[in-house]
Amino acid sequence: MTQSRWLTWLSPVLLLVLWEVAVQLNLLNRVFIPPPSEVMVALAKALRDGSMEHDILVSSQRIVLGFVIGAVPGTLLGIWSGLNRTVLALVRPLATMLYPVPKIALLPLVIVVLGIGEVSKVATVAVSVFLMVVIHTIGGVLQIDQRYFEAARVFGANQRTIFRTVALPASLPAIVEGWKLAMGFALTLIVGVEFVGANDGIGYRIWQSYELYAIADMMAAVCVIAGLGWVVTVVLDEVARLLVPWRYTTVKESRMSVIRTWWGAVRPWSYTAAIVPVLLGAAIAAQHVGLNWWLLILALIGSIAIQGGTNLMNDYYDYRKGTDTPAVKGTGGALLRGELTPTQIFWAGITAFAIGATIGLYLVSVTGPFIFWLGLCSVAVGYFYTAGPFALAYVGLGEIAVFIFMGPVMVLGSYYLQIPTVAWPAVWVSLPVAFVVAAILHANNLRDIDTDRINNKRTLATIFGRDGARIEYYILVGGTFVSQWVLVALGVAPWPTLVTLAMLPLAWKLMGIAGREVDPAALQPVLRQTAVLHMRFGLLYVLGWVIALWV
Amino acid sequence: MDSGVVVDFAHLGVTYANGVVALSDLSLTIAADQAVCVVGPSGCGKTTLLRVLAGLERATQGGVQLSRSATLAMVFQQGLLFPWLSVADNISYGLMTRGVTPPQCRAAAREWCERMGLQRFIDAFPHQLSGGMQQRVGLARALAVNPDVLLLDEPFAALDAQTRVLMQELLVDLRRQGLCRSLLLVTHAIDEALLVGDRVVVLSARPGRIIADVTPELAHGRSFDEIRAQPAFTQAFTTIWQLIRGEVEAQLREEVTL
Repeated sequence: MTQSRWLTWLSPVLLLVLWEVAVQLNLLNRVFIPPPSEVMVALAKALRDGSMEHDILVSSQRIVLGFVIGAVPGTLLGIWSGLNRTVLALVRPLATMLYPVPKIALLPLVIVVLGIGEVSKVATVAVSVFLMVVIHTIGGVLQIDQRYFEAARVFGANQRTIFRTVALPASLPAIVEGWKLAMGFALTLIVGVEFVGANDGIGYRIWQSYELYAIADMMAAVCVIAGLGWVVTVVLDEVARLLVPWRYTTVKESRMSVIRTWWGAVRPWSYTAAIVPVLLGAAIAAQHVGLNWWLLILALIGSIAIQGGTNLMNDYYDYRKGTDTPAVKGTGGALLRGELTPTQIFWAGITAFAIGATIGLYLVSVTGPFIFWLGLCSVAVGYFYTAGPFALAYVGLGEIAVFIFMGPVMVLGSYYLQIPTVAWPAVWVSLPVAFVVAAILHANNLRDIDTDRINNKRTLATIFGRDGARIEYYILVGGTFVSQWVLVALGVAPWPTLVTLAMLPLAWKLMGIAGREVDPAALQPVLRQTAVLHMRFGLLYVLGWVIALWV
Repeated sequence: MDSGVVVDFAHLGVTYANGVVALSDLSLTIAADQAVCVVGPSGCGKTTLLRVLAGLERATQGGVQLSRSATLAMVFQQGLLFPWLSVADNISYGLMTRGVTPPQCRAAAREWCERMGLQRFIDAFPHQLSGGMQQRVGLARALAVNPDVLLLDEPFAALDAQTRVLMQELLVDLRRQGLCRSLLLVTHAIDEALLVGDRVVVLSARPGRIIADVTPELAHGRSFDEIRAQPAFTQAFTTIWQLIRGEVEAQLREEVTL
């Protein structure tokens, strides 16, 4: 952490400490100004008994509803006024005139018209948000440099294209700025509104605590509204980064949206490998018992967390070993482009593993030690996949590890959660999924065969050579389907699972490209499409099992 | 209109709403594959000439005619790239408005980035680029639509001296490669006009009239330094400078008496 980051934390912490000490030394009267520790206790208590939760929910609902009802028409009307002189002449004077009126002053009037219920509270927020957004949006559209419109016209843009490519993007920064201000306004307003005419909400809570002279409770509620404000600011900043990326990229650091960066680093689209086996295990178990949905959902979350941790660790160690280059798509990419630091990746990976482990431990406590050993092995394989001196992915064991752990082991684990017995049929049934998941990894290795050779990364592809690697791809993709047909023929898998035949054309196409292309760029789609094949094949296969419940 | 003529200004006059006469009775033709540079003192209506041709300004007298189906593109002062579009989207903007599909737009943008040495910046936003790079994008955006006439409005005026020379060389080079056909460049820099243009038109102070139309006999196709070293260059430069100097001095005197 840099020095300035330390310093930004220092002043608030210091203030809290001084406050606490001052009260404890009786320099401040505890009755009027309770110490932070007491406030925290009050906050924890209110959160535990669920009453605060309700108030947060109610207030948030009023704010969000009022914001949306005000901001959406406000933005549209603002843009329209900015582009059309007649509308502008009609709207602007009115908006400018009403804007300075403190909106809380209108509350009694609103209550007279709309009653004391929920509508009047939302309406008060909506009206003030509306006015604020209209004014900022008009300003945003009017300040657009006219030369941009001219440039667009010279290049042949028609009115619609000009709106989409000039008017809208050029005014977006001001529009988003208006949203931010309006949201701050909405927060202030809702507290005031709830002071007066409400039976719940954070504002009501503050007022009620004041009337009861429960100052600690009052401060706890203030903390909550502050926290709410902070969350809203962060969310809107994120929205701004997504909508107005050109304002947030500087010459030195091209800081992408946090969400987008992490999205790329964690590769959620790869979670098909984490989701399909869990669903499959549950679907097989459902043939015999009613599903325990709670355990299924926990298993899904845990499985995704472990997959996420594996992806992150994978990037971390690939980066450390220097196998990835900035050109690498998606992931190692984020690290190498400096959007995320290795330390961030490492700790995010650890966090994901910790979440997975916590869920795993819970599942163990409900089902038994079998899941413990299964989970422990999975985490170990996930960690040592690229880490350590004997990294599985670097010695040609990647496909086998993935085949076993993202196929039979996961399906069996998910099955075991529902029915605590080790059922061999669940292992056989998982084979098609095991083949196709190994095919994803192999598509990756087939693409990287040349660079991996240079980097001494031993994969089955580099060991077999290009021709052998192609045959391996045929076997894995072909095995997916053939193993399933065998299962159906033997009566282990039900016939409706043959819906997976719909994926045969895609598989055929992929095998064609894999057998033809040499260029990594041409093989990139094979990798992506193999993952798609896994997802679609897997989901159809699960669907087949679900259909079998009725036929 | 002659078959070889692409642009024909005929007795063009522009009077602004506030009564300022920017141009009066100006006639000028541009032949196919000809590079015409317009120089003149500041405020002489050079830019207005371009804006009329681009359809951004209306002629109050006479007018301008383009040969049938001729297309235009323009390079603006300081680039005037769209800040919210990436380099690739800026370059392919004119293609996008003409209904070219996104993959083809992308391919064209990539091709132009390579040609302009901007490969690494294809996904950057304009403000991440230096002035010279921005103007290369501006040039690529204009040339990507393969225009019959390329209009340039003081395109390199805001660049530093070294970058300006490189950009001028780039423009001449693109023309030599056949990527840029007729060209109408407005500038206040006489050397730029002589280096880039086949023909230099000198405008008077406002209202702009043509006071000279020079076709210097320069041996082109060499380095700029060699061109500059030719006596013909120096001679043409001096002639034009004397004309403009007279105009500027007259303008100053007028302002003083006012």
